[in-house]
Amino acid sequence: MNPQDNIVLTEAVFYTLLALYSPLHGYGIMQETGKMSGGRLRLSAGTLYGAISSMLEKGWIRALPGEEESRRKEYVITDLGKCIARTELTRLRELVENGTKIIE
Amino acid sequence: MTKTVRKLFFLWEYEKEEEWINQMAREGWMLIRTGFRKYVFEKGTPGKYTYRVELLDKGMNSKESNSYLIFLKETGIELVGECNNWVYLRCKTAECRFDPGDRPLYNLTHLLKLQEFFNTLRNLFVTCIAACIVGILILEHFTPNPVVDFSKGFCTGFSMTMAFAILLATPFFRRINNKVKVAIKEMYTRE
Repeated sequence: MNPQDNIVLTEAVFYTLLALYSPLHGYGIMQETGKMSGGRLRLSAGTLYGAISSMLEKGWIRALPGEEESRRKEYVITDLGKCIARTELTRLRELVENGTKIIE
Repeated sequence: MTKTVRKLFFLWEYEKEEEWINQMAREGWMLIRTGFRKYVFEKGTPGKYTYRVELLDKGMNSKESNSYLIFLKETGIELVGECNNWVYLRCKTAECRFDPGDRPLYNLTHLLKLQEFFNTLRNLFVTCIAACIVGILILEHFTPNPVVDFSKGFCTGFSMTMAFAILLATPFFRRINNKVKVAIKEMYTRE
């Protein structure tokens, strides 16, 4: 995947990427994203699982080597993931700028 | 205190089943085990748990399902029972982490899983019907004797039943297709 491509991230994916700048396991991601959004975003288990599987496949995040397959896994963002998040931030800035200009 | 209820839901009545289980929970009966047509409830605080009936992508013992269920467990969602690829899940209502039913992406994912599952089932039924018809045609060439007659009767009855089952499930198929369309339309405007 070329980071320069025009990708629009979902809210769940963007917040998960932000949360994973430091390693977290699934439940930790839910708590962290909830905290970051002031309790507004309540990620559900199914959505987060889908987001994590898809991001692992794309190489935006990676699983930290755990003791066993069945142990709770921790994830962390990769360099590619950081690049994607940065591109998204630029896009979001543009949205905010244009929105502010016209609406306010 | 526990009680066992025997009740039959058809495969396509999973929504009705889920609603019934949640209604029981609201009345203070928490589902703790399931079996074929069998539901075991335990007395508890009304509304303590919220239940969901979900279809897994792969079989219960597959690596994918296993890692999904472990993930759910970490987030406080318990596996209560299973039946083929269907699982009965629950979480404490206060800290519930189920996907809300009004999210188009969630709906679409779940509906496509259902569609695949039921298409497979329907294909199996259609194949059986075709096999029966071929069987009957072949049997026509035999001189009638009790075995041939029985086989012919069996094939006829069997294929009729299968055909009836498909007919019975047609409204369900149509409903799923409509829901898929609605979910896709919804996704044009929201996540």
